[in-house]
Amino acid sequence: MWKYLFMRLLQIPPVLFIVTIMIFVLVYIAGDPVATMLPADASPEEIAQFRHALGFDQPFYVQFGNYILDLIRGDFGESYQYGTSALGLVLERLPATLELATASMVIAILIAIPLGIISAVKPNTVIDFFATSFSVLGKAIPNFWLGIMLILVFSVTLKVLPVSGTGSYAHIVLPAITLGTAMSAEITRLVRSSMLEILHQDYIRTARSKGLKYSAVVIKHAFKNSLVPVITITFLQAAALVGGSLITEMIFAWPGLGQLIIQAVYAKDLPIIQAAVFVTASMIIFINILTDIMYRVLDPRIKFI
Amino acid sequence: MRGKFSTLSIYALVSILLLAGCTTTSKGATTEVTKEEDKTLIISLGPDLMTWDIHNHTTTTTEAIHVNVFDYLLMRDKVGEIQPHLAKEWNKIDDTTVEFKLNEGIKFHNGEDLTAEDVKFTLERVAKDDTLRSHGDYDTIKEVKVLDDLKFQIITTEPDPMLLSRISRQASGILPKDYIEENGWDHFENSPVGSGPLKFVEWKRDNQVVLEANPDYFGKKVTNVDQVIFRAIPEDSTRVAELLSGNIDIVANVPPSDWERVKSSDNSQIVNGPSNRNYMIFLRTQEGWPTSDVKVREAMDYAIDDQAIVDSLLNGGGTPSLSRVNPGDIGAQEELYGKYNYDVTKAKQLLAEAGYEDGLTIELSGPTGRYIQDREVMQLIAGMLEEAGIKTEMNLMKWEPFVELREQQKFKDGYLIALGSSFFDAGQSLNYYGTDRASSINGYSNPEVDQLLSDAETLMDESARIEMYQRVQDIANDEKPILPLFQIDQYFGVSKSIEYETRMDELIYIPDIINK
Repeated sequence: MWKYLFMRLLQIPPVLFIVTIMIFVLVYIAGDPVATMLPADASPEEIAQFRHALGFDQPFYVQFGNYILDLIRGDFGESYQYGTSALGLVLERLPATLELATASMVIAILIAIPLGIISAVKPNTVIDFFATSFSVLGKAIPNFWLGIMLILVFSVTLKVLPVSGTGSYAHIVLPAITLGTAMSAEITRLVRSSMLEILHQDYIRTARSKGLKYSAVVIKHAFKNSLVPVITITFLQAAALVGGSLITEMIFAWPGLGQLIIQAVYAKDLPIIQAAVFVTASMIIFINILTDIMYRVLDPRIKFI
Repeated sequence: MRGKFSTLSIYALVSILLLAGCTTTSKGATTEVTKEEDKTLIISLGPDLMTWDIHNHTTTTTEAIHVNVFDYLLMRDKVGEIQPHLAKEWNKIDDTTVEFKLNEGIKFHNGEDLTAEDVKFTLERVAKDDTLRSHGDYDTIKEVKVLDDLKFQIITTEPDPMLLSRISRQASGILPKDYIEENGWDHFENSPVGSGPLKFVEWKRDNQVVLEANPDYFGKKVTNVDQVIFRAIPEDSTRVAELLSGNIDIVANVPPSDWERVKSSDNSQIVNGPSNRNYMIFLRTQEGWPTSDVKVREAMDYAIDDQAIVDSLLNGGGTPSLSRVNPGDIGAQEELYGKYNYDVTKAKQLLAEAGYEDGLTIELSGPTGRYIQDREVMQLIAGMLEEAGIKTEMNLMKWEPFVELREQQKFKDGYLIALGSSFFDAGQSLNYYGTDRASSINGYSNPEVDQLLSDAETLMDESARIEMYQRVQDIANDEKPILPLFQIDQYFGVSKSIEYETRMDELIYIPDIINK
C-alpha cells in the first residue's frame, strides 16, 4: 500500500505542471487583459503604452519562459486586477469555499442516506415515491433558480434566515442547501438502488432467517455493503463541489473562490486563474487518492496494484 | 420494527437540533452582519472594492468607496460644479502653472498633517508611473512645486484647460506621503490612511468594507451614522432581496425587472437621477461600408425613436440628445440636448436617395450586462431600424470580449455603447471625432474638426474654447459618425428611512446622505 501511495504522490507534480501550462496557453490564446483593465474611453495610444509597461507586448516565448521560471520558484505572480499576490488571494478565500462544500456534503448525506434506505426498504410506498421524485427533481433544478427561490421564501417572506453574506451558522444554511441538493439527489438514488440490489441477496435472507432484527440487518449487513459505490460518488461529487460552487457563491455573496475565479476569467487575470486552478487541481487529486484508500478500508477484497 | 423507528427518530432528532441551532443563531447573526445598531449604514454597490491603491483601478464602484476615505483637492457637487475642497483657493499664474492653497489644519486619520508635500507625492506618482491604470488621465502634469506647507503649484507640460477637471475626479485623492514611505505600499493597501469623512476599519475581500465616521474631519462631517459598511453582492436579485428584507439601506443598479417590487414594498423606494453617461452608436465611415454614406447614417438617426426607448425600457429615466456632451459639462451645445430625430418616412426616403430603395442589412455589436437594459435597448433599436428598411443583425456579447472586439476593430458596421464623461468636459468626450482617435474606431475624419479640437486642447480662454467645442458638436450632428441617443439615469434601491439623491458622477458621498 505504501508503494502504491508513493507512486500516486509521484504523479502529482507532472499533472499539476501540465495543467498550469495548458492554462497559460489557453489564456494567452484568449488575448491579453490590457484593454479591459483601462477605462472604456482609453485611447489606443494609452492601451499600447500600458501594454508595453506591463510587458504584454513581448513575444510568446519570452512571456512563457518568464512564467515557467516564476512557477518553478513557486511564484504565481501578482493579480493584474488587485495588484497583490495571486496565490495569497486564492488561499485567503479557500476556507470559505471549503466550509460551504463541507456543509453542503453534510446536508446532502443527512438527507440522502436515510431517504435512500427508507425508500429501498419500503419500495412503492409514498415515501419511496417522494424519494425518487426528489432524486429526479433535485438533479434537474438549476442551482441559481433554487438559490433565488430559497432566498425569496426563507429570507424575504418568512425572514427566518439571512439573505446573503457570512458571519454565523445561519448564513451557511441556504447556500449549503442550494449546493447540496443536486448531490443529495444523486446519493439518494444511488443508496436506494444499491440497497435494493443488496436486500435481495442470499446473505440477507440468511441473516433474517437467523432471527436478527430487521433494522440490524438493514444497517449492519445491507447498508455497510452498499457503501462502496456510495462513497465513490460522494467523494467524486465532493471534488466537483470545490470547483462547482461558483454560481452558488455568486448568488449568496459567499466570499469563496467562486466570485474570485469568475471575475478573474472575465478579466483574463492569468495569475489568479493559475493559482486557483493549481489549488483546486491539487485538492481534486488529493480527494481521488483518499477515495482509493477508502475503498481498501471498506472492502478488503480490493487490492492496490 | 422498533429498531427501524429508533434509527429514524435519531435522524429526526439530529435534523431538528441542527435546524434549531441554525435558527436560534440566525437572528443574532443577521444583526451582527447587517444592522449591528441603528447607526450603521449599509450599502451594496454590487462588486467588491478592487484595491485601496487609488491610482490603480478604473471602476466607479471602487471610487465611490475611495471618495469617502481620501479627499480630492477640488470636488464636484451633486450637479457637477467644481467646488473648493482640500484646496480653498487657486490662481492661474501662467498658461502652464496653477497655484493652490490648502485649507489649514487638515489631518490624515493617523493624526499627521496633510501638506503640500503629500500633494506632490501623490500627483507626481500617478503622473510619472506608466504602469498605473490612471496614469493616462494625469500625464499632462509635469511637476508639483511645493512653496510652503500649504501652498503649491501644479505645472503642466503644456497649457491644460482640463487641469481642474483632472484633479477633481476618479483617482484624485491625496495620499499620506510619510505613512506610505515608512510602511510601504503593501501595508498601506491593507490599512489605508486618508483624510476623508470616513476612516478605514476593515476589509474582508469579496465580503465587506467597514468604515467609521471621522470625528476630526475638516469638512462636512458624517454625524448621522457611526459606521458605514459596503457589502459585495454581485448578484442583482440577491441585492434586491437584501433591500426588501430590510438588511441593506442602499443598493446600486436595481435591474428594471425589479423596480415594481421595490416600489411596492413598504420599506423601500427607487431613487433615480441623471448620470453623465449617454447611449450612442458608433458607425463606420470608411469606404466599403454602407454607413460610409452620410445619408445612411442620417436615415438610421431618423429611424430610431429615442424617446420611445427611454419611455418603454427605462421607465422614462433618460433624456434624448443629439450630442453626447450633456449640459453641465464644459463645452456642451445645449441646443442639441433634449432633442432627437424620428421620422420613418424621411428615413426611408434618405435610404432611397443613398441607393438602398430595397433596404440593406447591417450588423451592430453591443455589450450585454454592462449598462442598464443594454440588450433590450439594442433589440428595440434593431426593430426600429428594420421598420425603416435596415435589417439589423445583432452581435451581442459579454463586456470583456466586446472590449476586445472594439480594440481590435473586429466589429462590422458599428456598435452600441454607453460612455460616461468623468471629466465633465467636452475635451474628453469629443476626442472621438478627431482623425487620430477615430482612425482606430470608425475612420471619421474632418480637417475642420481636427483643427478645432487641437486648438481647444491647449486653449486657456474658456469662452473661446467652449465655442470651438460647440462648433464641433454642430458639425458632428450634421455628419453623424456617431449617433448620440440619450443620457441615462442611474437607479438605486433605497430604504425609506434614508433621504438620498444621486450624483452626476455616480459616486456615493456619505456626508450628503441624510438619515431621516
